[in-house]
Amino acid sequence: MLRYDSTSSSAGSSSGSLSSSSSSSKPPQQDIDGLLAGAGYKVRSSELRQVAQRLERLETAMGNSPADFSQLASDAILYNPSDLACWVDSLLTEFAEPPPTCSSDFIVDPVNNQTVVNSAWTAAEPHTPQVHQNITYDEQQSLDNQLTVVTAMEEDSGIRLVHMLMTCAECVQSGDLSLATSLIDDMQGLLTHVNTVCGIGKVAGHFIDALSRRIFQGMGGGSVNGGSAFENEILYHHFYEACPYLKFAHFTANQAILEAFDGHDCVHVVDFNLMHGLQWPALIQALALRPGGPPLLRLTGIGPPSPDGRDSLREIGLRLAELARSVNVRFAFRGVAASRLEDVKPWMLQVNPKEAVAVNSIMQLHRLLGCEQTRNSPIDTVLSWIRGLNPKIMTVVEQEANHNQPGFLDRFTEALYYYSTMFDSLEACRIQPEKALAEIYIQREIGNVVSCEGSARVERHEPLAKWRRRLSGAGFRALRLGSNAFKQASMLLTLFSAEGYSVEENEGCLSLGWHSSPLIAASAWQAVPAWDNHMSSS
Amino acid sequence: MAVSLSTWVLISNFKLAYNLLRRPDGTFNRHLAEFLDRKVPANANPVDGVFSFDVLIDRGTSLLSRIYRPATAEEPQPNIAELEKPVTAEVVPVIIFFHGGSFAHSSANSAIYDTLCRRLVSLCKAVVVSVNYRRAPENRYPCAYDDGWTALKWVNSRPWLQSQKDSKVHIYLAGDSSGGNIAHHVALRAIESGIDVLGNILLNPMFGGQERTESEKRLDGKYCVTLRDWDWYWRAYLPEGEDRDHPACNPFGPNGRSLEGIKFPKSLVVVAGLDLIQDWQLAYVEGLKKAGQEVKLLYMEQATIGFFLLPNSNHFHTVTDEISKFVSSDCIKTIGERIMQCIGALLCVDYVCLFKCFLG
Repeated sequence: MLRYDSTSSSAGSSSGSLSSSSSSSKPPQQDIDGLLAGAGYKVRSSELRQVAQRLERLETAMGNSPADFSQLASDAILYNPSDLACWVDSLLTEFAEPPPTCSSDFIVDPVNNQTVVNSAWTAAEPHTPQVHQNITYDEQQSLDNQLTVVTAMEEDSGIRLVHMLMTCAECVQSGDLSLATSLIDDMQGLLTHVNTVCGIGKVAGHFIDALSRRIFQGMGGGSVNGGSAFENEILYHHFYEACPYLKFAHFTANQAILEAFDGHDCVHVVDFNLMHGLQWPALIQALALRPGGPPLLRLTGIGPPSPDGRDSLREIGLRLAELARSVNVRFAFRGVAASRLEDVKPWMLQVNPKEAVAVNSIMQLHRLLGCEQTRNSPIDTVLSWIRGLNPKIMTVVEQEANHNQPGFLDRFTEALYYYSTMFDSLEACRIQPEKALAEIYIQREIGNVVSCEGSARVERHEPLAKWRRRLSGAGFRALRLGSNAFKQASMLLTLFSAEGYSVEENEGCLSLGWHSSPLIAASAWQAVPAWDNHMSSS
Repeated sequence: MAVSLSTWVLISNFKLAYNLLRRPDGTFNRHLAEFLDRKVPANANPVDGVFSFDVLIDRGTSLLSRIYRPATAEEPQPNIAELEKPVTAEVVPVIIFFHGGSFAHSSANSAIYDTLCRRLVSLCKAVVVSVNYRRAPENRYPCAYDDGWTALKWVNSRPWLQSQKDSKVHIYLAGDSSGGNIAHHVALRAIESGIDVLGNILLNPMFGGQERTESEKRLDGKYCVTLRDWDWYWRAYLPEGEDRDHPACNPFGPNGRSLEGIKFPKSLVVVAGLDLIQDWQLAYVEGLKKAGQEVKLLYMEQATIGFFLLPNSNHFHTVTDEISKFVSSDCIKTIGERIMQCIGALLCVDYVCLFKCFLG
């Protein structure tokens, strides 16, 4: 019989500090058990005993019908495993528990003042026949990576390059442009000793270019991303094909939108950046297959105006309408042409109060983070009118990076690490020209982060933790993405991509990363009811 | 036999989650497992004096390892170019750590193991390399051992991990549960390779056999784990059709290899008194002793499995003290120092003084 000693636990939780594995300096939460926090679980010390009791009940129930339990695992959608109390409760709700037997009661031993569990460990679990099958597992085909033989000299040169890049960035920050310039020359020279086809050499080359542009154009901001909207769309499309980041974004957002639209007959999706509308065929098809039949779907796509008189938004709308017609989904499209998201006004979207609205932002919100933190900054304005629409869901996907810090060196360092990882992941892509064009797409992003300033610098990525604070402060609360979204994202990865990508769940948000470094994060939000509104729609 | 509430909740929760994941047909719900596993990122900013970063050791198998290093006074804030700066001390132990999970669960970046590895760094003033080996049932024997061996070779060939004293990497292998099993088998592979492993630290190592032992019968189902669970994990790891007397599972069993006359590293083996497979762990210790190998057994009578995950019991502190002694006892032992120590012991003289005199 196993007892737990509640006296020693309280000693543990009051003196145990938050584990050394916590990386961000979160304010210490009152009453959270410090030891379990170190294991990744949030439980209040005051709730610990209740959680233990519920765990016990679940164990008993599990012992009685183990087959139901593993079925539960396949069918149930589970949320937020870190919140142990919630997690255990949700399992108890899913699993019809048998009436409590007195063997699950807790008895306080008055002599020792300990809580003694008269535990109902089942003595023998019912025997289920073992079926021996020849189960073969599809071993993931590890791609035939070409072996680049990195000589010792190359390795050294690679490290030296990184050193020099950092030093150069430091010089740029402190204004020592002449030293920075000579470092650029040295680095160009060093590049000839390093393999620039892959690895550190490739990404270093792009950073050297970006630094050099920054130095030679002064601080006025470059015309790095002077590419036309048409060019950008092509590059985006190839980036979409070459690696799974955008597919993950679309997939995860669509899953959340589909769930939010459940039970609604009139739905309206507002897409902050239509591009080629790559995200929407899947949602249209999923809605077509919805039990009970598809709703009426309206899609409003926002995008830059076409310079040559073509109405590219409308063309895409027409193609999507075709598709919707072919699967019997009533569909209406509206294009809103705007060069900047902050130029869009809510009346342009013509939202009907009876519709369920989904706002979809794939890597757009960061562009609103202008360098000035004024009271009516673009991000505040836009978030405010989104809230005014009272959407059923707002899906937000952003790069998981800290590229908006004021200090140049910090930004540079973060970007170097982030884009090295991203380039590394791109090595796994075999198809051309998708890979080459995807690299140019990323290269342009690097250029913007490193060599642009002021209003020209639009790639102002911020990590999920910051977005959480920002969105909560703007009157939104997080909706949890659950285990089914996670499972489907993982399955998508195994189908379409090389080994090395990983999906992680973190407080209800999902992120996709390369070899355990998260690179893109997806979250879902809903507006907090207006009675709590202290942010007037200014 | 009381266990702290936090430990009970933690272990119970794991048991619950694990039961959701193992399917009766031998498959494993990997997606749900990854969803439920609490993971933490690496952190190049030192926290409590320890920083970490991830390295891809082998691209072909996507073998990642997380490296943990102590921050130094001179370099309190390492930047990314300096993560692999050479170690500066005379002797720096490098502990290659294999996480537990019965070959199927957990990862190097699981929160519980990240915490444990950080503790090991502070405790032993060591660099810890936590290996993210491939798991069963998708990857059976010998994948985990292959990955361990790859990691060992990698660690041994890093110039930046060489101790100043002798320009060699001072390697220890450590692991809990399946990790302990892996440590043993990697040490075996290292024997004729010329790579020196200075010691093995096995925490509740996972061993077994066909026979049902007394402890297995007595403790089956009593403390969160059943015999059927262990059977499942062995079936998932061992080659199909093999039984538990396969040498991977039962190294001193009928199919095992004798270690007599072999230069096997010294071992520290920790056994929990409430662990149902303790008879196999004790048999392992006996096997090492019979083969003339140096082994120290720490039998923690009232401990359950996983007791070392939370620092809130006497068992925890006893074990950490022993680990620290086990690793540091080599820090001063060159041949010369060993000789001095022997002479000192014989003469009842402080060997350190003697050594200093020897130097003049």
